[in-house]
Order: sequence, then structure tokens, then C-alpha cells
Amino acid sequence: MADRLPGRQSEAVEAADVAHAGGWPKETIVSLAAFFVLWHLASMVLPPFVAPSWARIGKSLADIATRPEFIAVTVGRVAVALLVSFAIGMALAMAMYWWALLERYLMPLVKVLMAVPVLCWILFAVLWFKVREVRIAFILVVVCAPIFVIDVLDGMHGVSKDLRDMVRALRPSARQFFTKLILPATVPAILTSWKVNLSLSIRVVTMAELVGATSGIGYALMQANETFSVADVFAWTVVLVLILMSANIAVTRIERRLLVWRE
Amino acid sequence: MTDADIHVRGLRKVFRQKGSGVAVVAIERLDFTVRRGEIVAIVGKTGCGKSTFFNILIGLEQPTEGSIEIGGRAPYGDFDAFRGRIGIIFQQDRLLPWRSLMDNVTLGLEIMGIDSAEQQHRAQRWLHRLGLDDFHRAFPNELSGGMRQRAALARAFAVNPEILLADEAFGHLDEVTATQIRAQFFDMVRAERKTAILVTHQLEEAIDTADRLLVFGRPATLLADLHLKAWPPQALPGLRARIQAMIQSNEPDPEIITKESS
Repeated sequence: MADRLPGRQSEAVEAADVAHAGGWPKETIVSLAAFFVLWHLASMVLPPFVAPSWARIGKSLADIATRPEFIAVTVGRVAVALLVSFAIGMALAMAMYWWALLERYLMPLVKVLMAVPVLCWILFAVLWFKVREVRIAFILVVVCAPIFVIDVLDGMHGVSKDLRDMVRALRPSARQFFTKLILPATVPAILTSWKVNLSLSIRVVTMAELVGATSGIGYALMQANETFSVADVFAWTVVLVLILMSANIAVTRIERRLLVWRE
Repeated sequence: MTDADIHVRGLRKVFRQKGSGVAVVAIERLDFTVRRGEIVAIVGKTGCGKSTFFNILIGLEQPTEGSIEIGGRAPYGDFDAFRGRIGIIFQQDRLLPWRSLMDNVTLGLEIMGIDSAEQQHRAQRWLHRLGLDDFHRAFPNELSGGMRQRAALARAFAVNPEILLADEAFGHLDEVTATQIRAQFFDMVRAERKTAILVTHQLEEAIDTADRLLVFGRPATLLADLHLKAWPPQALPGLRARIQAMIQSNEPDPEIITKESS
């Protein structure tokens, strides 16, 4: 059994890889189909405000398709906030990598930021900022940037001593050492951090829009909730899941391109 | 740096253990000179300070006392002065996994600021010489251990160094592959008239390939400094047995030293 386990694990990883790459392995199709059927059965016995039928959900999705600007606004907010968070995260991680003293002072603060619940950041944002877009951007950046910092810095510190010694022995400049070793060696950690933050930011932006916006998917969800339209809530949830899955597929494709040497 | 002789004078290295702060002597005292063009093998017990000596020699560690000078400069203190002057082959190939074989071989040349066309030319030449013509674009994880180590040799030779240093470079390969690559390495060292220092725990390898043999005690001191060309082939089996005994006992063999000095 012991020697079979790695094989089984690698098979599972391969199956997951296929799914990430955009392919649909049969397990995924079966589980989604089972959920589809179970929901359909539930909608037949439960009232519509608990489990709306697929037909009602489909109608809501068709309505959503007529006003894609709400999706565009949310996606735009996430994209801008993630790019800003990544720029801040990379800059801080690089500075902390080069100056150990800076890391010793900044790391506790980064960990404190990560420990603050998202709800608290939403409340702080409402108290501190008047402009709605600033509130949402602040919440997303303050949640995502520390994750980039931690992941990227871990990746940099994780470069093996063997490779460091080999490159150092070639006498590179500090810049060459960073661009030829540290940065390319950190690419896997950077991509993993993007995946984590994509998922997190979609969830956080929805919460932020619930309380601090007049547009976007979170705002639309709040409106659907106020009108007790479970079909709309469900439809918007489907949209959010599809956005996240699309983003993950995009990152995975970039990952495959950049990390072709691992295959 | 016209004088490529390597002078080791009163070299001592003491480490402090993390936590306990206990001093551990890795190198007790070393004094010797390696002349330009010599091929020198260093042998000794595992943990005798060979790799510590190697790291000081390539400039990654600072001596506690004494000095190493190559062409009048210290590899640690004048670190940048040795860019492109030392070719290093480590125990494992240490190829960068995200770079193709070609790009791994050009790494040292990129760091030296050699122009791109010359980088490609030199890398192709060495990959060809080491039988890796069909694998320029391959990534290290697509290749066997022997092929990767040959690429590591190409990387070391491509910078056209004055001195080649190898730390247990063939010990992790199977015997057949190790023999082939070892032969290629020494052929190239001799053809290019390089100075070479080979750190190894394999006595056979050292006697078969080097011009000169330095036997380290533990902690590192010089138990014997043998010019192997001065020994007739029929005397080598006996010499081998005596060196093994010397390494085991950690004591110099007066008879060997007398023969060597005569």
C-alpha cells in the first residue's frame, strides 16, 4: 500500500490538472450532473423561494446577460485591485528579501494585517473613506497584498542553497543574482499566490459591494435578496463561480506556459 | 592575474555550532602550493573538511586564519576579481531547472557580459564536445544524471577558466557513467592546459587521474603530498594501501614521506 500511495496521489493530481487546464474529467462531469439533478428534484418538492427551478434560474441568467455592465464592474475592480496588490506585494517582498532588518520589522505588521477579519476591513473602509470605489479598492488591496508578500517572500527564501551557491560562485552582480536565480525560481510561488488571491478577491469584492457600492455583482446580490428573488441570487452565484473558474483556467494556462520545464 | 598558482598558507577554519556555540575545527592547518597546469586530487575521510576547503577555495567561505591566494588575490576578499576565472563542478549538477541546457551553459557567460552570439557559439562548442548536440533545448529534468553532469561540465568550461575545481563531481553517478565523464573531464583539462583541483573520497579515482595527491587528515591537515608521476606503476597498489591506512589512522606515513622527498 505504501508504495502505491504516491501513484494514487499523482493520478489525483493529474486529474486535477486536467480540470484546471480547462478539460472536464468524468468525475467533474458526474458530480456536477448529480448536483444538477438533485437541485431539480429539490425544486419540485420545495417552494420556489427555497429552491427555484432551473428554468427560473435560467431566466435570471438571461436577464443578467442583458446587463453585463455589473459583471464588468466587478471584474474590473478585482483586476485593478489584484494588479495593485501584486505590485505592492512584489515590491515589499523584494525589499524585505534584500534588507533582512526590514523583514524583521515589517513581517509582524503583515501578519497583523492578515489576522484582521474581512468584515472589520469593510467597516474600517466605510468609516475612513467617502468614495465608494476607494473603499472597495482599499478592502481588496489590504486583504490581498499581504498574501502576495508572504507567498513571494517564502518563494524567495525557499530557493535552495545549492543553487544559490552555484550562482554566487559565478560572481553575479546583485541584480543578476536576482534576475537570473531568485525571480525565476519564485515564479511557481507567485502563480500559486495569484490562484489563492483570485479566489479570495472574488469573495471579498462581493462582500465589499454588498455594503459599499451601487454597482457590481455584490450590489445586484443585495437587490435580489431585498426582493426575495432566490433565482436571481442563485444566478449571480453561478456567474461568480464561472468568473472564478475562468480566471483559474487562465492562470493555469499561463502557469503551464511559464512552468513548462516542470512537466 | 598572470600567476595562476594557488597558494594555501596557514589555512584554518573553525565553525561555531548554532545554538550551543561550540567551536568545531574543520581545517586545522593547511600549507601547500598548486602550480599552474597541475591536476591535483584531494582525498580524505568523509567529514574531514574537504568540502569546507573547497568552499573557501571558491570564495564562498571566509578562512578563520591564514589565506588562500590565486594569482595574488583572495577568492573571498577579492570575490568579483574571479568572475570567469574559476570553473566549478559541484557534487550534483546544480543546473537551473527552468533553463534549457543551452541556457544553463551560457549562464556564466551572461554574468560575464559576453555578447549573445559569442555565448551561443561557446555553448554550442562545449555541448558538442560533450555529446549533447541533440539536447540544446531540453530541460534538465528531461535528461539522465550523466547528461546533466556533462552539461554542468560544459557550463564550467564555457567561461574558459584558468582553474577548474570539482567537488565529488562524479561520485553520485553509476560507475560506468562516472568513468566516462571523468575521462572526458580530464581529457578536456589536459587539452585546455587548465589547473584542476578535484576533491574526492574515491582513492582509485584520485590515483588514476591526478598528477598529484593531497591526503587530508581529520580535521583537515596535510598527511601527505604525493607527486604521483614520480611513483612507478608497479608501486601504485602498495601506495594505495598505505594511503588507505594513513586515512584510517589519521597519521602521516613516514615511509611514504621519505620516498616522496627522495
